[in-house]
Parts: sequence; structure tokens; C-alpha cells
Amino acid sequence: MRRAGVAVLLALAALPLFAIDAAPPLPDPVQQQRYQALIHELRCLKCQGETVADTQAMFGEDIRRQVREMVQSGKSDGEVREYLVDRYGEIILLRPRWSAGNAWLWLAPAVFLLGGFWVGWRILRQRRVLLATDTSEVDEVRRT
Amino acid sequence: MNRFAIPLALFAALVVVFAVALKRAPEKQFVRSALIGKPAAEFTLPDLMNPGANIDSRAFKGRWVLLNVWGTWCFECRAENPELLAIQREGKVVVVGLNYKDEDEAARKWLTDLGNPFDAVAVDREGRVAIDYGVYGAPETFLINPQGIIVHKVVSVITPDLWQKTLLPLIEGAAK
Repeated sequence: MRRAGVAVLLALAALPLFAIDAAPPLPDPVQQQRYQALIHELRCLKCQGETVADTQAMFGEDIRRQVREMVQSGKSDGEVREYLVDRYGEIILLRPRWSAGNAWLWLAPAVFLLGGFWVGWRILRQRRVLLATDTSEVDEVRRT
Repeated sequence: MNRFAIPLALFAALVVVFAVALKRAPEKQFVRSALIGKPAAEFTLPDLMNPGANIDSRAFKGRWVLLNVWGTWCFECRAENPELLAIQREGKVVVVGLNYKDEDEAARKWLTDLGNPFDAVAVDREGRVAIDYGVYGAPETFLINPQGIIVHKVVSVITPDLWQKTLLPLIEGAAK
């Protein structure tokens, strides 16, 4: 039992061997954190379901290197995003930016939620009116 | 009757939205290049065919350029090779190859075996120039006008049909 536990722990300890991002972390922990955050919000255009952080595609490798170098050379998060959007278009950002064209994307959930409240409120109100004028019990009594 | 009118109208509207989107899906690629209408990035890269020499993209200014991103690891690149050869022979554009994340020896052997459709082949071993062109795979092909502006991008195999119906009209349309 104990041996099995040790085996499982060892296997878990080996997981980093399967890490996709094989590059060593940046020496500056703040930069490393920014780099990690950035690659998690970029879309892999080759695979399209994955982030740049999670993909094994060559594209991801190249973009990770580019982002790492830009972060290390002191570029801001905004500058890195701008650089990539200039070349790949906004599609590379997993989180759409706030713009006139994207406004509906951001507003749609609120609109649907409010719409749902409105429909619910109407149904409740209607039911209250119906209950108030409900004669079914009277009918039933009358029938017997 | 009335209580179904609104949901039905909403449903009909959704059907229309989806129908339009589906119909347009094939013609608009998932990733439209952000670079159409923008100046093509300039580069100086090693020349695959002349080791030790460099290729400077500025040398092609003033002519129509078809920049083809390829690699020996890319299956579709093999498929488009005959058409690229035909385009190069036709002589309406300078056909420039960007050998993307490849090995020089393998690339040269490929060109010897299949035929070399390129007037020049630049080596982008690390894919750095490719990032400037918004490349995310191969093959990708850019049509660049004599002023150095990217006019069109193809993210698929170059076929005779595509050349005749899409690329050539862009070149000849601009000449008029």
C-alpha cells in the first residue's frame, strides 16, 4: 500500500517533464508572471481551441518565444498585445477588446439577463392576476 | 396564437443569422489577415540557394511578388509545387519562397527533386520574419504589389483555379 503511494507520488512529481512550455522561467519573477498571464490570454491560431500557453503547435512555440523576449526587453503588456494584434488581428486575443464592433459581445449577456428578468416578472404578474380571478374551485363546488 | 408570436419571431431571426453565417463561412477564412493593405515587412535573410549570401526583400520593390511560406515538413506545399512552377514560368510575378522552420539541406533536396519554382528562397529558420507576416502555418502565400503593399493572403494550397480567378485578376485589375 505504502509502496503504491510512493509510486503515485513519484509519477506525479514527474509531471513537469510533460510541460509544454519547455523554456526556463525568466529570471525576474514579476516578468515571469506577466509572461504566464499573457500567453494564457492568447489564442493559438493553428489549433484554435487552445491558448498559446497550452499548445504544442510550432506556432505556440514561436509566439511564446516572442512574448518572452518582449517582456524581458521591458515591453508593457499592452505593447505585446498591440504587436501581436497588428500582425495576427484581434482574433489572437482570447478576450475581445472593448470597441464599437465588439460592444454587443460584452453587452449581450446583460441584455439577455435583463430580458429573462422581464419575462419572468411578466409571467409572475400574469399568474397573480389569474389566481385572483380563478373560478375553478367555485366551478368544482358547483359541479358536485 | 399571440403568446407564440414573439418566440417564433426570435427563432426565425436566429435561423436567418445562422443561415447567413454558414453561407459566408467558407469564403471568409477563420483568420483574416490583419495585414491586407499594409506594407509588407522588410527582411534580410540568408539565401537558401547561395550559402553565405543574403536576400533583401527591398530588391523586389517595383514588381509584383508572390511570397510563398513553405517547408519540407508541410504536405500541402508539395501539392502546390506544380502550380507555383507554372506561375513562375508565366513570369507575371516574382515568386519568392520563405523557407519556414526547416533545414537547409532538406529544403535544397526538395527543390532539386520537385523543381524549384522560386526566383529566390529566403531562410527563416526560427520563424521570426513569419511572425511579421502573421504566419501561423504553411503553406501561406502573400501577393504583394509593386509598392510593397500586401494585397491578398492565401491560407491554403495555390491551385490553378485560385491563380486564374483570384490572384491574376488582382494583378491585372491594378494594371488598368
